[in-house]
Amino acid sequence: MGRSVFRRATLPWWGLRLLVLLIYVFMLGPILITAAVSFNASNQSRFPPVGFSLQWWGQVFDPRWIDPLVFSLQLATASTLASLLLGAPLAFGLVRYRFPGRAALLAFSLSPLILPALVTGIGLLLVLQLLGLGGLFGLPALVIGHVIICLPFVVRMTAIGLGTMPIRVEDAALSLGATPSVVLREITLPLIKGGLFAGATFAFIQSFTDYSIGLFLSSAQHRPVTLTILNFIEFGFTPTLAAVAVVTLVIPLVLLLAVQRFFRVGDFIFGSSGRG
Amino acid sequence: MPRKLVPLLLVLVPTAFLFVFFAIPNAFLLTASFLKSEAQALTDEVTLENYQVLFRRTLYVNAIIRTFTIGAAVGALVVVIAYPLAFFLSRTTSRWKEVLMALSLSPLLASVVVRTYGWWVVLNREGALNDALRALRIIDQPYQFLPSSGAIVLGLTHSLLPYGIITIMTALNGVNPRLEQAAMSLGASRTRTFLSVTLPLSSAGIAGAFLLAFALAISAYATPQILGGPATPVMATQIYNLMLTILDWSLGSAMSVLLIVSAAGLMLIGTAIGSRRRAEAA
Repeated sequence: MGRSVFRRATLPWWGLRLLVLLIYVFMLGPILITAAVSFNASNQSRFPPVGFSLQWWGQVFDPRWIDPLVFSLQLATASTLASLLLGAPLAFGLVRYRFPGRAALLAFSLSPLILPALVTGIGLLLVLQLLGLGGLFGLPALVIGHVIICLPFVVRMTAIGLGTMPIRVEDAALSLGATPSVVLREITLPLIKGGLFAGATFAFIQSFTDYSIGLFLSSAQHRPVTLTILNFIEFGFTPTLAAVAVVTLVIPLVLLLAVQRFFRVGDFIFGSSGRG
Repeated sequence: MPRKLVPLLLVLVPTAFLFVFFAIPNAFLLTASFLKSEAQALTDEVTLENYQVLFRRTLYVNAIIRTFTIGAAVGALVVVIAYPLAFFLSRTTSRWKEVLMALSLSPLLASVVVRTYGWWVVLNREGALNDALRALRIIDQPYQFLPSSGAIVLGLTHSLLPYGIITIMTALNGVNPRLEQAAMSLGASRTRTFLSVTLPLSSAGIAGAFLLAFALAISAYATPQILGGPATPVMATQIYNLMLTILDWSLGSAMSVLLIVSAAGLMLIGTAIGSRRRAEAA
């Protein structure tokens, strides 16, 4: 790989470094400030924090906050599993077989990324109401809505996994007498594990951080934590809200650190083509 | 089992799922946007009236104009901020490169609601910024930063920055460093090399980042709601009001269709520019 000609430039390169530092401050500042104000001794959003107190963090375990947090985790888990069950076979069919309408089906399965999720939520709301399926609001309707917005990630990541694995390994196993189901279990699935993990991770984060679908398909008992936060902001500031916000940020972070030994996140974000 | 049936079985259930829960609801919105509503219920009278109301009533016209103005401003700001960062990340040989890249995308792990809430904490009347400005004696009275369109632009730019970074970095990674070396060995200065080689070769990334941020900004609900509110209606908040408060499904559907067409159109143009560039480069 060629050495960049820009890197050794002294003054402009140092200027760029300073600019980059400012951009990182801009990107991370609000989140860090939110974390800091949750330790205020008073119930105001003073920054820098006045005094130090953990009392607001104790309230995170109040059912008012812990229930929506737990519900969001359940919802994200269910949505991720359902997206994998639907998305992985779909990707397999699209990558491995040629059939009429294949290109159109691929575009269709990725199209929820292009249409605003808000509108996907509204459409589902209206259709479920018209069909008299209002009883589905809450967990079932939310899972359906989240699967729609998560599916493109699973399909795309599984397709990348299938596209980059050496297909001859499967032929070799078959020619040595392995049955198709053995090949799938022993050869294909282990080889595309990275793609499946990447898809599942993106799906989980997508579901856990969504608010657009939750806005329309929640019920009084089943409300994701993002919506609880959104509704609560109207009533003004409380450091507990800041603490809950920090918790919702830590959960995906821990998940990502836990799964990163199974796949390189960067490969799936910037595309794995052109990397050999 | 005949081999021809295998792909059919694999794709049948997922396709049926998407058809029932995704295609039909969108088709329903499209249909409802051409139907007249009476007493909070759809009739079967076909009309163009919904779209006429959308483009005539000041409330909606203003919301549409505000939405697109915010979208364009956010797209431009995302490019201006993401480009230097993406350029730095694609060219640095620092051993912190991986960490810095992860850090630049880490905001995607937090919900937009949470990130916007961070801005609310900073910008509200008793917020961190007013505290700081008063401590520095720049102002004596707290300044009213919220609600405003400017705050919405700021919040959305912040939320959508990682998408801009990914898009521009992908384009910059595709620029062959040998071309830059060639320009410099032929006597071009670093600035000249950047302006005549690097910048034009990454223009698809710039266009893509602008259009992607634009499309995502006009569909946003939470940021305009938290940092703006009733004083600064945009299309997404109007759709919510029409569908859930006013219960005018016809008008809400028409506004939804307008939003779908705009957002999808912007995204498709962005994808087309990106793939044409890649085809040229190959």
